[in-house]
Order: sequence, then C-alpha cells, then structure tokens
Amino acid sequence: MSCPAGFLRAMIRFENVTKVYEQNARPALDSVSLEINRGEFTFLVGASGSGKSTFLRLILKEDKASSGSVYVAGQNVANISSWRVPKLRRGIGVVFQDFRLLPQKNVFANVAFAMQVIGKSRSIIRETVPEVLKTVGLEGKERRMPHELSGGEQQRVAIARAVVNRPGILLADEPTGNLDPITSMGIMGVLDKINQNGTTVVMATHDDDIVNEMRRRVVELKNGKVIRDEAKALYTSMIPVVGESRRLKDASGEELNRAQGVQL
Amino acid sequence: MRFLFILGEIGSGLRRNLSMVISVVLVTFISLTFVGAAGMLQMQINQMKGYWYDKVQVAVFLCNDGSTAAGCASGPVTKEQQANIRALLDSPAVKQYINDYQFESQAEAYTHFKEQFSNSPIVDSVSQDQLPASFRINMKDPQKYQIISETFSSQPGVETVSDQRQVLERIFSWMNGASVAAVGVAAVMIFCAVLLITTTIRLSAFSRRRETGIMRLVGASKMVIQLPFILEGVIAAVVGALLASVTLWLMAHFWLNGDLSKQFLNTPFISSTQVLVIAPVLIALGGGLAGISSLLTLRRYLKV
Ligand SMILES: Nc1ncnc2c1ncn2[C@@H]1O[C@H](COP(=O)(O)OP(=O)(O)OP(=O)(O)O)[C@@H](O)[C@H]1O
Ligand SMILES: [Mg+2]
Repeated sequence: MSCPAGFLRAMIRFENVTKVYEQNARPALDSVSLEINRGEFTFLVGASGSGKSTFLRLILKEDKASSGSVYVAGQNVANISSWRVPKLRRGIGVVFQDFRLLPQKNVFANVAFAMQVIGKSRSIIRETVPEVLKTVGLEGKERRMPHELSGGEQQRVAIARAVVNRPGILLADEPTGNLDPITSMGIMGVLDKINQNGTTVVMATHDDDIVNEMRRRVVELKNGKVIRDEAKALYTSMIPVVGESRRLKDASGEELNRAQGVQL
Repeated sequence: MRFLFILGEIGSGLRRNLSMVISVVLVTFISLTFVGAAGMLQMQINQMKGYWYDKVQVAVFLCNDGSTAAGCASGPVTKEQQANIRALLDSPAVKQYINDYQFESQAEAYTHFKEQFSNSPIVDSVSQDQLPASFRINMKDPQKYQIISETFSSQPGVETVSDQRQVLERIFSWMNGASVAAVGVAAVMIFCAVLLITTTIRLSAFSRRRETGIMRLVGASKMVIQLPFILEGVIAAVVGALLASVTLWLMAHFWLNGDLSKQFLNTPFISSTQVLVIAPVLIALGGGLAGISSLLTLRRYLKV
C-alpha cells in the first residue's frame, strides 16, 4: 500500500467533517478539520454535547460523516466497504466510561475474548494476554471476575482488551468518568505507557485535573466546532500562550473567551 | 480456534434461551411431522397405483388355474382363446375406443406384483400360477369403460374385466384430501415456527448485545458475530426435523407395516425405509427456513 507522505504522518485526519444527526438540529460536528499524528496523545475536551463522542464514532465508522472526509491511517473511511470495516476496527482500540466488561467472564477471558473473536490461536492468546495484563498492572488478577474488581481495575481490564490486538490507535471516551482522582491518575499512567509504546491515543474527557497534569495536546470542541487546538495545553486555555505551541487556526478570540466562560 | 469459539457461543446461546429453544424444537417437530405425513400419503398413493395405474385404464383378466368365474368353466385360457381376444382388440369395432393395449403374461404379472407388495408378507404366499395374465387397455375415453366391459366379459377365457382406477380413485381422492389438510396444518405450524424462531433469535441477540457490541468494536467479522445466532435457530429446527423424521419412521414401521398391513393384506404399503427418503427433505426444509428467518431477523436487530 502506498500512501501520500503527508497521510502517513497523520494517523487520523478530518477534512471539513460535518455530522448532522437530525435534519433541523444543529450539527453534532460542524466542518471540523484536524490532523492527529502517529504516536500523538490528544485530549478532546468540551462541554456535554459538544461532539466529542461523535468525533470518535466517525473514526470507527460507527457513523457516517454527513459531509467531508475522515481518513484513518491514510484511508478514507467512506471508501471502506462494509465487509472491511472489521479490519479497520482491528486497528483501533476503544475504551468507554462504563468499562463494558462481560460480567460472566473472568479477567483473562474478557481480554482473551477480543482475540478469540478475530480468530487468534489459543497459544498466541495464552502468551499475549498475561503480557498485556502486566502492562496495565493487573498481574495475578487473571482469575478474578469483574464484580470482584474495583472500578479502576475494571477499566484496566477494558484497556487491556482494547490494546491486546496491538491497534495503532486507542480511542478513550471519558475513561476516568467513573473513577476517583487518584485511580484516574493510575489509568492515565497506563494510557501514557501505551502511548509511549507508539499507539496514537485520543481521549475525550471532562477531567480538568488530568488534562492539566498530563500537559498534552488539547482539542476543544464547542457546538461541534473546534475552538482550540493547543499543544502541551491545559484544560482551559491560557491565552495568551506561547505562540509556537498554539495551533488554533479558525477560532476567533471572542469565541475563545466564550468557551472559557462555559468552562468556568 | 474461531470454530471452537463459535461452537461455544452457540452452546451458551442455547442454554441461555433454553425454554425458547425447546419451543422452537417442538413447533418445528409438529409442523414437519405434518409435512412428512403429507409426503407419506403421496408415497402411499404411488405405491397403491402399482405398475399399470398411470399407463392404462382397463384390465381384461384371463382365466388361470384357480379361476371360478363362469367364463372360465373350460379351465385356464387357451392359446386359441387368447388369439381370439387379441383379434377382437384389433377389430375396428373395438379399436375406435382404445389407444393401444398390452399383454401382461403371468410371469410379468408376478414381477409387477412382487414390486408392489415388496413390503408385504403376502408376496411369499403367492406363486406365479395364481396370478392371471391380462390384456391392459389404454382407453381413448376412459368413460367408455362400459362398452369394453360388455364386449369382453362374455368372451371365453376372460375371467373378469375391471376398471381398477375407479376403485382406487375414490381412496386416492380421500388420501389427497388428507394430504391437503396435512399441508394446510403444516403451513400454519410452519408460520408459527418462523415467528417463534424470529422471536427467539431476537431475544438471543438482545441478551447477548454486550458481547456482540464488543465483538464489533474489536473487529470481529460479520460471520463470526452472526453465525452463532443463525446456527442456534438452525440447530433447534434441525432437531425438530430429526424428531419428526423419527416419528414418521416409527409410524411407518409399527403402524403401516405392523397393524395395518396385517389388517389389509391386499393393500401394498410403503416401507419404513422408504420413509427415510423424507428425512433429508424435512431437515433441509427446517434448517433452511430457520436459517433464512434468523438471517432476516439479525439484519434488523443485530448491528454488525
Ligand atoms: N445517535 C444520535 N442521534 C441524534 N443525535 C445525536 C446522536 N448522538 C449524538 N447526538 C447529538 O449530537 C450532539 C453531540 O453529541 P456527542 O455525544 O458527540 O457529545 P459529547 O461531546 O460526547 O457529549 P458528552 O460529553 O456528554 O459525552 C449532541 O447534541 C447530541 O444530542
Ligand atoms: Mg460523549
């Protein structure tokens, strides 16, 4: 497969993407253009209903963009036929706020499930699952059932399941939404480690402490529009910021101020 | 691995929905039993028709050793008498009513008899000599039977002239009616079975939506996601079809070839092995219907 050089660097690329769910409602995403590079860690912030989950769903081809194009690893997802969508999704891990573990399977089986359903052999599963469980800090808890785990541990299982097939992208939709601050920081440690291993991470969150602590790229959405895109940023924008790290293209200062107002 | 995984999923699906699965099994069992019964009635009709039924209408039976009819006072039919009858058949007076005729010798009669009564103990107690030779006549107009009957009954060497179709046709119309009724009941029951399978698969898909949701997210193929559900319906229906086949076989074995064949010695019955021909048809029908209805249900209720 030969891709244009620019696309190779961009793991995820949105070109004027608009998503309208209901004809008369305002768009959930409103001509969003954005590039997320290979290996990058990006926070997606914004008020409830600003379009963060929609953004992630478009990457997964769970929904179709109403206009514009979404590229994942250089490929326009609109051109991926329905029988090849599974292949796209094998390259993307997903984590949610509500963990979504299978309650009647133990930790090992929950993670192994993600490998079984794509036809991985038993020996590879037996080899890989303990490794991944170690990465997320769950050594020795293989036989526990989900109800025997704390929320933080359950989320670690969910992360292990999301990355066990070594996806190039990890999408996390408010993964710390149900967790206390200290547990959340533990989860962030895991996500950071996964990112260090080369996985592109996109995380939608409301958790300002985390964003402020991590100091990564922050993309802020408001009413479906990107109003801020800053490297090594805080949860709320600190304007004026150092010009070099400020990547905001098309939001006016006025909008930014309003965005701040919403957050405070 | 994927195969084992799918098997495991089917197992857990069947267990989780056990009561629904049992009802699918029972409803397909009943409906396919009716379908099979209709098939058996048709097979029985064919069996009773024997060798000549579809070829000729009227049989002129000639005297043999044991004949007691008035025309047979002089003993078994002679060569001369036979030639006379043949001449009469060829004469213009008779020829205008018939298309053609065939002669069935005692040896041929015995062969056909053995075929028709292959499942009946009577075949061992009948010898070639006991069966009459006959002329088999294909009528231009079967309604003109009376003319032929009058012409040949009085011929020397003729034991009797009979229109076997008329006797059998009444039984056949009754049996055809019964098969139509059976097919009617079967149609209603199959409709129930399809609805039940649809509901079962829907419930199954609903109760496993967590699993299937995760399967989609980690990139399981459509087949891996859907196959367990489809096979769940198909397996239940095939079990129903197997039960129906066994029931029909038991019916043929113990009833048709048991009690009934002892009561009606002169009626040839289909054998229980013949009934086994129906089994694959029922299995294909049950499995096919279940597969198609599961697939259509999933298309609506299971996002992949
Ligand atoms: N399936 C849907 N059908 C119709 N409208 C939808 C659908 N999903 C989302 N929306 C609308 O799209 C907008 C963006 O929703 P989205 O879920 O992307 O927001 P979000 O930023 O993830 O919010 P939150 O922080 O509360 O999770 C909202 O106005 C929402 O009502
Ligand atoms: Mg959301």
